[in-house]
Amino acid sequence: MKKAVIIPLAIALVILLAFATTNAYRVPTADISFVECDERPTSVATVEFEVSGLKCRGTARTFARQIQDVPGVVSFVAYARTHSAIVEYDPALTDPDAIREAFEEPILHEGKTYEVFKMVSVAGE
Amino acid sequence: MKVLRTLVQVLFLGGVVALLLRGLAGHTPNTCEYYCPFGGLVALYPLARYKAYACALTELNVALLVSVLVLTVVSKKSFCGWVCPLGTVQEWLGRLGGKLFRRRFRLPKGVDRVLMNLRYVVLIAVPVLTFTVWKFDLGFRAYDPFYILFTWGGHETAAFSFYIVIGVLAAALLIPFFWCRYLCPMGAAMDPLSRAGALRIRRNRDTCTDCGECDKACPHAIPVSRVDEVTARNCTNCLDCIEECPVEGALELSWFGK
Ligand code: SF4
Ligand code: SF4
Repeated sequence: MKKAVIIPLAIALVILLAFATTNAYRVPTADISFVECDERPTSVATVEFEVSGLKCRGTARTFARQIQDVPGVVSFVAYARTHSAIVEYDPALTDPDAIREAFEEPILHEGKTYEVFKMVSVAGE
Repeated sequence: MKVLRTLVQVLFLGGVVALLLRGLAGHTPNTCEYYCPFGGLVALYPLARYKAYACALTELNVALLVSVLVLTVVSKKSFCGWVCPLGTVQEWLGRLGGKLFRRRFRLPKGVDRVLMNLRYVVLIAVPVLTFTVWKFDLGFRAYDPFYILFTWGGHETAAFSFYIVIGVLAAALLIPFFWCRYLCPMGAAMDPLSRAGALRIRRNRDTCTDCGECDKACPHAIPVSRVDEVTARNCTNCLDCIEECPVEGALELSWFGK
């Protein structure tokens, strides 16, 4: 029966390997550009937010709608696994605080307001 | 060994229950779906075709799918017998049912065999429906007892979803591992690899007394006493047969039956 110990060891090993390798095949949940290629500003800054509420393609599309009208927002990439939103913006026109304010804005739906997105953390790149 | 397996089962079941409670309290946006290996299987088609994940699926689902398949090659359906929380709940209900009714119910062999193929239908139907009728949404959530139970009626479930869970759990009281045996698509995906699984039960003909205790002990109705090595696709390496065998060494865990 000593061999039986191999089973939990194998379970632990394959699960550890799964968590250790996920970043190797990271694919965005959404990748949206708000400007045409030839309209891209010459200088672009990037900010990465961790956002509660950003958990699938649908919520990523809603997130994009929340920030698309902020002047200077260039593009947005979402990763549902890490709940992260990486936003490119023109630093001459906007900043991370304005972007945060836009996505945290409550959403009106069928007469009710919902606070869908809340920033958990922020990191500049 | 029973203690070790129970400990592992409690660990994983406790994990999803903790996730459920934290989710209900609003402390985490992740549900059990975040860690579901079957989600990895559903994710494969859009990943290959559009380089994108459907709905809330991520690379973690794919990584865990690969893990489960590798585990199956090594140790048959150990995922079902040691890890899967829905398997654990059904196992415990099956034991309770055994005590309540003093027997395990089995469907007639022919019916059982036909119904066992239903899980292949589910395995094909779920991805096909996801990309057609459900338009890349995870519509299976409303029918998946794992998701319904461990999100306690999460996103996209409906009132009928709870009837599905109640039905599956009630059936598991009577027929051991009802969902796994007849409907689980993840189990179906593991089947071909499970047959070849390296770690398997071996019966020693010289010491075996043909008492049949192992057959009675096996919750998956595998006729252990009639084979030299268990290659059956449903074997979860739960080791219950070894536990119940009265003859020391008549059954043992082996590499490829050697
Ligand atoms: S009782 Fe034995 S044969 Fe049956 S599933 Fe468990 S390990 Fe496999
Ligand atoms: S329980 Fe042990 S001795 Fe009895 S039939 Fe099974 S392997 Fe043989």
